[in-house]
Amino acid sequence: MSMIPQLLFTGLGIGSIYALVALGFVLIYRATNVVNFAQGDFSMIGAFIMVVLAIDLGVPYWIAVIVAVVTMAAFGILFNYGVYYPLRHRTFLPVVISTIGASILLQNGVLAAYGPHPQSLPPMLPFPGFTVGGVFLDSQYLLILVVTFALVALQYLFFERTMLGKKLQATSQDKEMASLLGIPVALMIGITFAYSAVLGGVAGILVAPLLFVSINMGSTIALKAFAASIIGGFGDVTGAIVGGLALGVVETFGAAYISVPYKDGFAFLVLFLFLMVRPQGVFGEKVAEKA
Amino acid sequence: MAKHGLAALMLCGALTLVASQGIAAETLKIGMVAPLTGPAAESGRFQVNGAKLAADEVNKAGGVLGKQLELVIEDDQTTNPGAVLAFSKLAGDSDIPAFIGSIRSTQVHAMAPDVIKTGKPMMIGGTDPKLTHMGNPWLFRFRPNDTYSARVIAEYGVNVLNRKKWAIVHSTDAFGTAGKNALAEQLKALGAEVMITQGYTNNSQDFTPVALAVKQAGAEVLSSYVTFETDQGILAKQMRQLGVDLPWIGSTTIATTSALRLAGAALNGTYGVTDYTEKASPASEAFAQKYMAAYGTKADVFAAWPFDAVTVLAKAINNAGGTDPEKIRAAIMDISGLAGAEGTYDFDQNGDGLHGYNIVHNDNGTIVFERRIDFKD
Repeated sequence: MSMIPQLLFTGLGIGSIYALVALGFVLIYRATNVVNFAQGDFSMIGAFIMVVLAIDLGVPYWIAVIVAVVTMAAFGILFNYGVYYPLRHRTFLPVVISTIGASILLQNGVLAAYGPHPQSLPPMLPFPGFTVGGVFLDSQYLLILVVTFALVALQYLFFERTMLGKKLQATSQDKEMASLLGIPVALMIGITFAYSAVLGGVAGILVAPLLFVSINMGSTIALKAFAASIIGGFGDVTGAIVGGLALGVVETFGAAYISVPYKDGFAFLVLFLFLMVRPQGVFGEKVAEKA
Repeated sequence: MAKHGLAALMLCGALTLVASQGIAAETLKIGMVAPLTGPAAESGRFQVNGAKLAADEVNKAGGVLGKQLELVIEDDQTTNPGAVLAFSKLAGDSDIPAFIGSIRSTQVHAMAPDVIKTGKPMMIGGTDPKLTHMGNPWLFRFRPNDTYSARVIAEYGVNVLNRKKWAIVHSTDAFGTAGKNALAEQLKALGAEVMITQGYTNNSQDFTPVALAVKQAGAEVLSSYVTFETDQGILAKQMRQLGVDLPWIGSTTIATTSALRLAGAALNGTYGVTDYTEKASPASEAFAQKYMAAYGTKADVFAAWPFDAVTVLAKAINNAGGTDPEKIRAAIMDISGLAGAEGTYDFDQNGDGLHGYNIVHNDNGTIVFERRIDFKD
């Protein structure tokens, strides 16, 4: 029966995308204690940059990818200074509202600039995929899985083995202590935003050949990614990845064996169960509210 | 003498004023609600262009009741409240005897109660069958309603392609569900068997479970009611990747330019229903050429229906010989055999002007006209 491996493959592929976007959520949350509701739009912006470069301007594909990633980093820094930095001394609520506003601005800005028609990007690899034992392995999904795991491994090395990574960790754990130790906190937060924007952008660029490029492509992914980060334990990097993958697999199997129209329902049912039974998520630690 | 001169001058001035008022009164205003801003602004441009093209033609041929036709356009902002507001502005102008409404069923639903209160005819493009079946005598439809798309899909698949075992994939929104129900009913009437009915929610990122279910259902033909082009594209690609090679007849979305661009070769060989296509008839071809000459872009369904609506309305008002709403209504009902861009208009007692669809075929990425299927009722 080729159905189960086929579903597992697709579930893990779509789950990796949730994981990448969830990772962006988690990193910014850890650095600033706010949820960035424009995280999904980072994916949309990244994908549109690719459309402009690779399709409209005819830049070679892989150069376009590199330029898009660098642009996303710059965009993340800009986002930090426009959306988060001016409100950094306020409570979390104004910042959250500010990110929602940014999300609306980004979507409508792209709508005004590019029009409402969805765009497509060609597949990144020159072959459509393999068929192994009746299971079709889409090359783009394979690429997504490989890139996600490579990024996660690199990120682990970066945070655990480099000084900059440790400074970023210190900042996310205790900003006051970090600044007493001479760590430039504002700069660290800027870097976090840049990195989160890159993660979101990479997710957008990777899914574009599969799901196309449209104004609201980010919102759909971000909603699931948000659920994934809660399931994994908000603020936990491993949790975001495991949560994303699990969500992708659960909804794909639920759709196949129970009901397709309730596919989104399964994702949120899992979220619901976690909020009831284990609100801190799989990997989250129970932390008492700080005084 | 000087006194007389002044009086003469004043008289002249007064006469000029009367004359200019006379000219101003020589236009006959038609109100139009269209999305000039918001997500559907681009389609709004096509709608306004289509209506203006028809108005120019009417005016060149002598206008309506000896007056020049003038379109008064209000923006609906692509929202329901916007549509209601736009309509109430137009309804407040007592010089306007009739209106061009919206192509979106939900907006027509929102405006419908006010249209009854105003008591004047509105030409609409929304395809929800209910719009002309809810006792509102003032709505006249210039596109075939959705029951006809189901009838045409079933008729073509069963009697032309000769396929008896069907798979239906549909969006679970109002449009997709209504389409699925109508199609299942038509297939039953034609003696065909539905092997599988598979719904999905809009903006699904993955259709693997749908494709696998269809593959195992033992169907001979696939039919679909898909709302969004992105969904259509992903669905087509995954169907083909997972080895579903059935003949496929889809609702309108399957043959739109956007869907073709997104899905590419995955949609090759499919069939679709569409209410406007360039080669469907001499009238639609003539419209396509005029539109291209006037605006330099290809016409689409958004432009075709307001073109027909203004043409039919002008003819009806001329036939009625006045702007009394009841008389205009009766004159529209009397229209029969009028060849428009969307088809041949023959209004029934519900206010539906068209009763069939075109079948088009995707021939390696080019949409070609296959045939027109019309029904008597």
